[in-house]
Amino acid sequence: MSEYLKPVPIYLADRQVQKKFFTPGVIVLCIIVLNGLLFLAARFLFGIGSVTNLNNQFPWGIWIGIDVAAGVALAAGGFTSAALGHIMHREHFHSIVRPALLTAMLGYTFVAIGVFVDIGRWYYIWHPLVMWNGNSALFEVGICVMMYVTVLYIEFLPVVTERFIGKVNLKGYLSFFNKPLEKLLRILDKGLNKTIFIFIILGVVLSTLHQSSLGTLMVIAGSKMHPLWQTPVLPLLFLLSAISVGFPMVIFESITASKSLGLKKEMEVLSPLGYTVAPLLGIYLAFKIGDMFIRETFVYLTELNTASIMFTIEVVVGIIIPLRMFLSKKVLKTPSLLFTASALVIFGVLLNRINNFVVAYTPPYSFGSYFPSIGEISVTVGFVALLVLLYRIIVLNFPVISQPDKKFAIKTKYTIKG
Amino acid sequence: MKRVICGILFFSTLVVAQNKSKNHLPDGKAGSLQNVNCKTCHTCDVPTKQNPCLIECPRDEMITVHQTAEQGPDVIKIDKLTNKYLPVTFSHKTHSQMSAMSGGCGNCHHYNTAGPILACADCHNTERKREDISKPDLQAAYHRQCIDCHKEWSHSTDCNSCHLEKGSPITHKVTKGKDHPKVKEPEKLIYETNYNKGKIVTFFHSDHTKLFGAECISCHQNDNCTRCHDTKNVQTVSSTIPEKISKTGSQHHQPCFKCHANDECSKCHLDKPTGPFNHKTSTGWALTRFHEKLECAKCHENTNNFTKLNNDCVSCHKNFVTGKFEHEKTGLKLDEIHQEFDCGDCHSESNLPDGKAGFANKPDCSGCHDDKSYPKDKPGSLVKVIKK
Amino acid sequence: MEKQNRRSFFKSAGLLTATIAGASTKSVKASPENILSEDRMGVLVDTTTCIGCRNCEWACKKTHNLPAGELNSYEDKSVFKEMRRPDSSALTVVNQYENEKRINFPINVKVQCMHCDHPACVSACIVGAFSKKENGSVIWDTDKCIGCRYCMVACPFQVPSFEYDKALDPEIRKCDFCFERTKEGLLPACVEICPVEALVYGPRSELIKIAREKIKKYPDRYIEHIYGENEVGGTSWLYLAGQDLAKTKALPALETKTAPGVSESIQHGIFAYFVPPASLYALLAGIMWLNKKKKESSEGE
Repeated sequence: MSEYLKPVPIYLADRQVQKKFFTPGVIVLCIIVLNGLLFLAARFLFGIGSVTNLNNQFPWGIWIGIDVAAGVALAAGGFTSAALGHIMHREHFHSIVRPALLTAMLGYTFVAIGVFVDIGRWYYIWHPLVMWNGNSALFEVGICVMMYVTVLYIEFLPVVTERFIGKVNLKGYLSFFNKPLEKLLRILDKGLNKTIFIFIILGVVLSTLHQSSLGTLMVIAGSKMHPLWQTPVLPLLFLLSAISVGFPMVIFESITASKSLGLKKEMEVLSPLGYTVAPLLGIYLAFKIGDMFIRETFVYLTELNTASIMFTIEVVVGIIIPLRMFLSKKVLKTPSLLFTASALVIFGVLLNRINNFVVAYTPPYSFGSYFPSIGEISVTVGFVALLVLLYRIIVLNFPVISQPDKKFAIKTKYTIKG
Repeated sequence: MKRVICGILFFSTLVVAQNKSKNHLPDGKAGSLQNVNCKTCHTCDVPTKQNPCLIECPRDEMITVHQTAEQGPDVIKIDKLTNKYLPVTFSHKTHSQMSAMSGGCGNCHHYNTAGPILACADCHNTERKREDISKPDLQAAYHRQCIDCHKEWSHSTDCNSCHLEKGSPITHKVTKGKDHPKVKEPEKLIYETNYNKGKIVTFFHSDHTKLFGAECISCHQNDNCTRCHDTKNVQTVSSTIPEKISKTGSQHHQPCFKCHANDECSKCHLDKPTGPFNHKTSTGWALTRFHEKLECAKCHENTNNFTKLNNDCVSCHKNFVTGKFEHEKTGLKLDEIHQEFDCGDCHSESNLPDGKAGFANKPDCSGCHDDKSYPKDKPGSLVKVIKK
Repeated sequence: MEKQNRRSFFKSAGLLTATIAGASTKSVKASPENILSEDRMGVLVDTTTCIGCRNCEWACKKTHNLPAGELNSYEDKSVFKEMRRPDSSALTVVNQYENEKRINFPINVKVQCMHCDHPACVSACIVGAFSKKENGSVIWDTDKCIGCRYCMVACPFQVPSFEYDKALDPEIRKCDFCFERTKEGLLPACVEICPVEALVYGPRSELIKIAREKIKKYPDRYIEHIYGENEVGGTSWLYLAGQDLAKTKALPALETKTAPGVSESIQHGIFAYFVPPASLYALLAGIMWLNKKKKESSEGE
């Protein structure tokens, strides 16, 4: 480590960014969010049927497939980097823990919102807390996600205390609260400092549990699911894929954020991180292919249909090609290639979740097949855009992204991009 | 001797008493009637009152209720279940006549023992919620019996084809049972089969029913109205153009094998249509006049296994001996003088090896009379032939 | 974090493990009522007897307070041209299929909830709203339902339906085996109205006996298979037919293993009294501690 990295709010680091929050890119994102919100309003006013293409034959669509299942998988960076940074105690990687944590926190928040939007009786979303069904995979996913969201918020609290300790400065009447608030923050900080490891480990355990249970979710669909995906080891495949997508997601985000905010790319951290991806992805591929051969489902690949094409893309483009890329030293050292490889892994896992929840689901009785409606796509895309915006706002205002300690204000050679 | 008679009497009363107590063989004979034996109804060897071990409704081995269509009622009013519709007037006679073509009375009166004829409601419960759910309730029993044929015949299950709703101006659909037109029976049917060694099978339909004693239902048990009535699904019946067989071998052989189980394939399967069974060519003994109209079973007791019979007249006709034969049955009443003669005195046939009377040829008067000859001169007076 | 001392580390970790273990005993009890009674009831559907009058559809709607219309309107046979599925406005429908043996006499197959012996919906429901009752019926508590539609994903017969067009209080709907009627000693509405008693209501074990007897007695009429006897571990509704209903696609082709079997064993495997998660927690804590110790010692040198 040549220079000591310290997480700082980008605003404090670079005053230039503050003035230009509404870049063209941000404006586009805002429009996408608004569009999504409009469809969301229609969903709450006129029912799920008015916005989605869901019906009795296809009860789950992309709101579950992408917003929830893929959302959970892509937020896996949170627990993989926590495991690497804290549990394995690789301090070298500490700088990626907070961005990953923020992504996980936001990701899971949107998973929760996605569930809230998708369930018909949203005002009863608290029911699983008091009405338990230990046999249900969904119950387990629900409870674990609820707990994990809480854990993530607790894990994020130090970022908040770090930001405000010594800087609480409320105006007017509220200035009365300045002192107690300051005190509260300090108590919180002290308490958290001693106990945070409990939550870090708990976060990893909870993630392991629900990442796998998300796979168990579709096992009960039995023969309604295409045999290319339906397997009793589905939970393991889900867990392995979540683990292998964690770091690529961190790399992807880091490079994107650096570029967008005009920061230096953290290649000295990302390259070693990329080094760990290949073995993880390899294990995932081995299990996926092994399962295919044990159950002899490769016969379905000889048929030319949506399922076989999607499966092939998922495995070749989403696993094999990035695996080969991550094995190359050149790729690990070149930001653009590393970015591409990571993007492919993310695409592969995203496609895998869509495949498992949407493409593979072939009910015995249907009147046509399912394709998401404009409303469903708008809401999903709107959520992603909102997530990106929130990420942007938070990294600008809170100490998330690490910057070299001494030269935080002077990065003038980078211009600000959308 | 007296003791022996007493013994027999005692024993027979015992048997009769036992049978009476069983309550279902009214004539008291041990059950050979209509092929009914204990096993027809009971599964165990010793049925008791507590455990009669009755078998389930045996539609397959239906016990024919021996009645003609005309013996039953003309119309029946079905009014046991009338909550929605008016009572249904059921043209019993017409339906029995239709049924006679296939399963007979047993078609509907299945599981009827040799006792009195039972109505549907005697066995089928009017309540749908009941203990014994192995047989349908009364409404379902009626409907199943009717709809099975009606839907095949008319392709419709409209309630109104039988029912009249309450408050309807007409109260009866039928008042009197019509007669079903007589079913025309073909003389023979020619089938073209897939059997390569003999594609053509000629079936002499009327011979089987009239001579061989086959009952309609022994072949037509699965037939129903549609065999003739369904215009969409009509089967061609022809005695000249071979009908192609669409059924499987076992389906089509099944009715034949009841009797022809031990016959060679070539007995029926030939290259071309054949003639009917000819007693002369097959056995060497021609059937004439009275004999050719008799059912086989009249002479051959065991029709499963035909054996050569003694063709002496007296082997069957015990009274065909001099003095006992009622000659007037032939249409000629012998006068007193000729009654005294042996049959062979007139019906002689010198070239018959065993000196039997030759009834096939005209009687010979030359034994006594030089100037008389049959049929110009007669040994008695002509009478009207008494037919049995 | 760095200031964390070892003793408090183990104390907290141990406390947490104990809490989770404590919660686990509660969750074991927290599964919905799922009774597989010896005397559970069932319905034997004889598709060779059914005449497709659709009276059952009408009676079902009437009983469940759904818009039913006039009974006479159900004589309309044109609905058979297209396959229909039960939905929130019709909990049972009759479909017509071609008869392999006799072209002119189509087969009518009524579909509704099969009331599985090992119901996937009961296992799947996130809030345990579904339950299998002693009389065999699989019913659910709408007040618990959150509308997640996982029961619809899980059901091997694709039966539960959802009111997609209601913004507030949309409900899951399916045949409830006329639970309210049978409780009062009445027959299910469809069974009661069937003019030919193609639907026979009775103890499931007895129905199987009756069905076997029928098959034995009329081998030409029935194929030697009682649909529902072993499919997904057995269902309360049983079907007799003259041809393979699964091949006809009137009912789905299913294996004999129970629908929630694999899923539940995975769940219970992962959560065997919370031992695996707790061990994982302990393992991770151990690794964390070791790594920290290693670093401390290296720094100390």
